[in-house]
Amino acid sequence: MSTQVNTHHEHPDVVGSRNKLGVVLILVADIAFALSVLFVYFYLKQQDVGGMWLPRASEGQAATVPANAMGAWYLTLLAGLGLLVNNYALRGARTKNPTQINLGLGAGALISIVLFVYQIIQMRQVEFTVTWGAYASCYFLITGLSALHFFITAFIGIGNWNRGRLGLYSNDFWHIDIANVWWIWMVVSSLLGAFALSNS
Amino acid sequence: MTTVMNHKSPTASHRPIMERLNVVTAVVLGVAGAVISYYLAQKFLPQNTEGSVMKTRHDQVVLIGMIGWFIGFMTGIGALVGPFRWLMGKDLSHDENMYLAGKDAGIARYFRYTTDHKVVGIQYLVITMVIFGVGGILAMLIRTNLGNPEGGWLHPQAYNAVVGIHGIVMIVATIIMITGPFGNFIMPIMIGARDMAFPRLNALSFWLIVAALAPILSSFFLGGITTGWSAYNPLASQSPAGMDGYIMFICIFAISTMVAGANITTTVVRMRAKGMTWTRTPIFIYGTVASVALALPAFPVFFLSQIMSGMDRALGTTFYDTRGGGSGWLYENLFWLMGHPEVYVILIPAVAALMEMAPVFTRRPLFSFKIAVMGIAGICGLSILVWAHHMYMTGWAPLLNAPFMLTTELISIPTGMLFLVLVGTVWRGRLWMTVPTASIFALLLNFMIGGITGIYLSDVPADAALHGSMFVTAHFHYTLMGAGLTGAIAALIFWFPKMTGRMIDKQLSWISFWMVQIGFNVAFMGMFMVGLAGQPRRVEAYAELFTRGNQITTGAAFVIMAGMLVLLWAVVYSWRHGQKAPMNPWQSKTLEWSVPNPVPLENFETLPTVTSDPYGYGKAQS
Repeated sequence: MSTQVNTHHEHPDVVGSRNKLGVVLILVADIAFALSVLFVYFYLKQQDVGGMWLPRASEGQAATVPANAMGAWYLTLLAGLGLLVNNYALRGARTKNPTQINLGLGAGALISIVLFVYQIIQMRQVEFTVTWGAYASCYFLITGLSALHFFITAFIGIGNWNRGRLGLYSNDFWHIDIANVWWIWMVVSSLLGAFALSNS
Repeated sequence: MTTVMNHKSPTASHRPIMERLNVVTAVVLGVAGAVISYYLAQKFLPQNTEGSVMKTRHDQVVLIGMIGWFIGFMTGIGALVGPFRWLMGKDLSHDENMYLAGKDAGIARYFRYTTDHKVVGIQYLVITMVIFGVGGILAMLIRTNLGNPEGGWLHPQAYNAVVGIHGIVMIVATIIMITGPFGNFIMPIMIGARDMAFPRLNALSFWLIVAALAPILSSFFLGGITTGWSAYNPLASQSPAGMDGYIMFICIFAISTMVAGANITTTVVRMRAKGMTWTRTPIFIYGTVASVALALPAFPVFFLSQIMSGMDRALGTTFYDTRGGGSGWLYENLFWLMGHPEVYVILIPAVAALMEMAPVFTRRPLFSFKIAVMGIAGICGLSILVWAHHMYMTGWAPLLNAPFMLTTELISIPTGMLFLVLVGTVWRGRLWMTVPTASIFALLLNFMIGGITGIYLSDVPADAALHGSMFVTAHFHYTLMGAGLTGAIAALIFWFPKMTGRMIDKQLSWISFWMVQIGFNVAFMGMFMVGLAGQPRRVEAYAELFTRGNQITTGAAFVIMAGMLVLLWAVVYSWRHGQKAPMNPWQSKTLEWSVPNPVPLENFETLPTVTSDPYGYGKAQS
């Protein structure tokens, strides 16, 4: 996220609107990336080359049993909650209510950390390793990228909470507005991941 | 512009960390990061297990070392200062921003994380020339080896490595050759802006490319890239550790491209001068935005393909390995989903640059601005629907061959529109014959040959005979070099006075132009001939019957090299000793020529208001 200082004395709304467009365009790249991941998942699933999408049990290796997709849905719900609390903070910024800003951003930071940790726990709990066929490869690709998303979310969440705490959003709060766009994408990308993993 | 500065000059020991970071600290931290992470990986990573299909511990160690380099380099150059300061709630002050912009910093600003778009433009120009230099030396090694049928000058494995590295570095150089130097230096001034929308992201996109060079160059010492530039899997998964350098290079470059794409697009959409409506926006801006906007969704696909390639090599996943349920076709689809739009990422800005120059040197309005815009939009739209013409002969989805043949041939319509605009503009114009003017004609000739041979190759029956031959190599050199590089060199000569404050040496640039164009056409016509006769590409030795054609190509390649060296000398000499350039030596009407040389830090004292279109030559009110 940019920390653009208003060097040329532009109105904060102008800077905010420009930065929002920049973030949306970077998200276009991220969306293309996420859709490509989905393409990989469903392409390999449909091809099922050599019956190795979900390999049967063989000597020295148990059959690959798909991971429980409910975990991915819980992550989506948590991301939705993160979006709601960020919205709460944004409304607080608009009404110039510092308590609401701090509460919303603090909760958002906490949820983003929980999302990251919970995603890592899910990855560690599955009963297959990354080498167990195409499904396993795709599972770790999707969850690994999701973990990276949540790590970035945690960075943004903690930064925004700290900045809110320091009173930097009392007048100029477009950072929270842009974080909202990011949270929306987190909900959608989690939803896409959960949808894919529910179709193993 | 009057900017009140209250920047103290602290002693060296009291300078903040941000002011101590430069390319030296970047390289030191990068090397330290690489060595430490390599050592730790060697010490703590477990040995390979029998259960892994393809992964090697060596690849894990090499990739971790390269990641260590990347993190160290980016930390050392200062890329993390902004995000860290944001996290801590300590935004950069006005003075600090001015420091980052390189105010009063002299030549040192070119060696650090400077945010001024003009500095970034010059940095891009130099790095592009360096990459072309590396790729050019490799090209001469290839051609020297092909000078006789037995090859033998290079070991076959080394030959493959040289071909692979030549291919990918030249592709990257051609991708950045217009949008990097001119998209950064010229574009913001041309639209009447003081800087890019995100100056720090602008510096980031440049330094990412510098960081990416170490992995690709290290691949020379790790067994090379033995797959050609396309790095097809599963072949790539079985290649030496040099492939890890390729993977790392592409991943970093893809991030740079995405960042630059978002930055340039935002700048044009949000920061055009008052009165610069879309119909008054210069065509070069359309070309630049189309190029980066096309790259924005295309490069993430390539990025993903390389992440999966790295995972297959280092973690033992099986995305591309059929033994584990993977598919080589998956790689080909992902690669060409990026690979074909990438051709237009290169070509569109080059053609747009020449369309920008055509009215200037003919003193006529651009022939049908709207057709030019429609042509660019049409190419962008169709370019994402043609990727599988690279896969006709692989056996993937034969039923789709006909639709892909159709979409590929359809793309010649919007391409033809751009030809029409160029021809219509120079037609019966009063030509001011400069190197950029001659480049318009050179591009028309070269691009026509490249385009028509492309139509042959898009035709499934013809492709059955010609794919994998030197004919294909000659075809894409005609488009990327004959058209793309010709446009880029013309752009360099055209905007050289604004970028350096000096005129480029006229005589030397003419000598270079003719040497390169004649050498190029002889070299690649020879290549067409041996390709039509059946010589395969990517082989270091060939049958006797191809000898004559190859010797002609090799001889002409040396003429191209000599021409390029003359151009390099012209640039270096003129930059230092060239005649001082007036503010507007070409009497052009676009905004970049309305600012003095050297261009002030914030470009305009007061932001301009645009009241007419940029091509109103011969009109009273423009």
